[in-house]
Amino acid sequence: MDNHHQSIPLGKAKGGMKLLSMRMNTLIRIAGFTCLLPLAGYSQAASDDIPDLDGLWTFGQCPGGRFLGCMTLLEDDPKLTDRALAYQAAFDEMAQPKYDCAPMPIPHMYTDPYNYRLEQLEDRVRIYYGKDDVVRTIWLEGHGHSVPAINEFLYFGHAIGKYEDGALVVTTNKFTFDPQGLNADFRIPSSTQKELTERFSRDGDDLVLDVSTVDTFFLKEPWTFNVRSTPATSMGDAWTCELDGARRSLMFEISKYPEDPEAERIKY
Amino acid sequence: MTLSKRLFIALAGFTLCLTSQVFAHHSTRGIYHEEQMLELTGTVKEWAFINPHPYLTLEAEDENGVLRNWDLSYGGAAVVHLQRQGYSSDTFKPGEIITVHGNPARKAGVYGLLMEGGGNHPTRENGTPVVEGGSMF
Repeated sequence: MDNHHQSIPLGKAKGGMKLLSMRMNTLIRIAGFTCLLPLAGYSQAASDDIPDLDGLWTFGQCPGGRFLGCMTLLEDDPKLTDRALAYQAAFDEMAQPKYDCAPMPIPHMYTDPYNYRLEQLEDRVRIYYGKDDVVRTIWLEGHGHSVPAINEFLYFGHAIGKYEDGALVVTTNKFTFDPQGLNADFRIPSSTQKELTERFSRDGDDLVLDVSTVDTFFLKEPWTFNVRSTPATSMGDAWTCELDGARRSLMFEISKYPEDPEAERIKY
Repeated sequence: MTLSKRLFIALAGFTLCLTSQVFAHHSTRGIYHEEQMLELTGTVKEWAFINPHPYLTLEAEDENGVLRNWDLSYGGAAVVHLQRQGYSSDTFKPGEIITVHGNPARKAGVYGLLMEGGGNHPTRENGTPVVEGGSMF
């Protein structure tokens, strides 16, 4: 609120009365503007719909002491379609993008035990993850943000957010097809039809995150989980993926397709 | 310098699964003999404390007594997981003698070991574990 007041220029005037008049007019305008701000949805602090999510958070943990277990989509999960299982069986481990330091997709990335930071701005929210320097931008509705072209797809998708009932609700779609898009451990892909709904809210000092993922090609039903974070004091050490560490275990992989030419990876 | 190696079969997959599957994006499934446990004593050649997965190179004898460079893996563990157990970039020094336990790689012609989990850390020449920590989280 204060920032809005300070950003309105008072202007310059030569005569005292004129100056006073201008100031009065300005004050009246400010007062009127202030009254209208909550109605227009510009005042984050004044609205109960907008939770205070800004800050550093520990990685989310599952209810009931399950640590990260509730977030894992199992390799034989009954939610997987036959198409997903067939894809998983056909695609071999060594062709996975993770061996080239491709970041974990969302929501699988939440299974990594790294802190993250939420930054609430007036027209967008940014999420800084403690791994791979991943930054997602959540474009808040009502600010005229552009949308991806019809032929544009993104590794982390296009995320649109809104504040609703005390939570930040984020819908992300327009993902690229990703051979490790639902689970990088078990080669479960995601299609361009993956859509993620994340709901960030507060419960006392905690951050509560509800995630629901749909993908009509690879999931029979939504894949959902709920985790809780506590305030963190730091992001932790910088996390940089090194190709030597990522590819090391490939020397022990036995190819599923031994008749194929040996795959040589690009040395980036 | 005398290097010793003892190979024995054990039902040791359980503890390894705990460390290699729970948070391993880089799967180790199928590439190590999870039903076999190998003990290696050798000389540290390289300790790469890097993400996504640190690794250790140990010069030790194979089953024929031939010196090999063994690639020792902590499975899916990243730097942060090992830090929480007490590991650091200084944990191993080139030239020091250590003993490790783990599952040997299945692939012929390569020498790898998936290190034993469950808090069973490598030991130094005097028998003390290189770190004391138990939990990776």
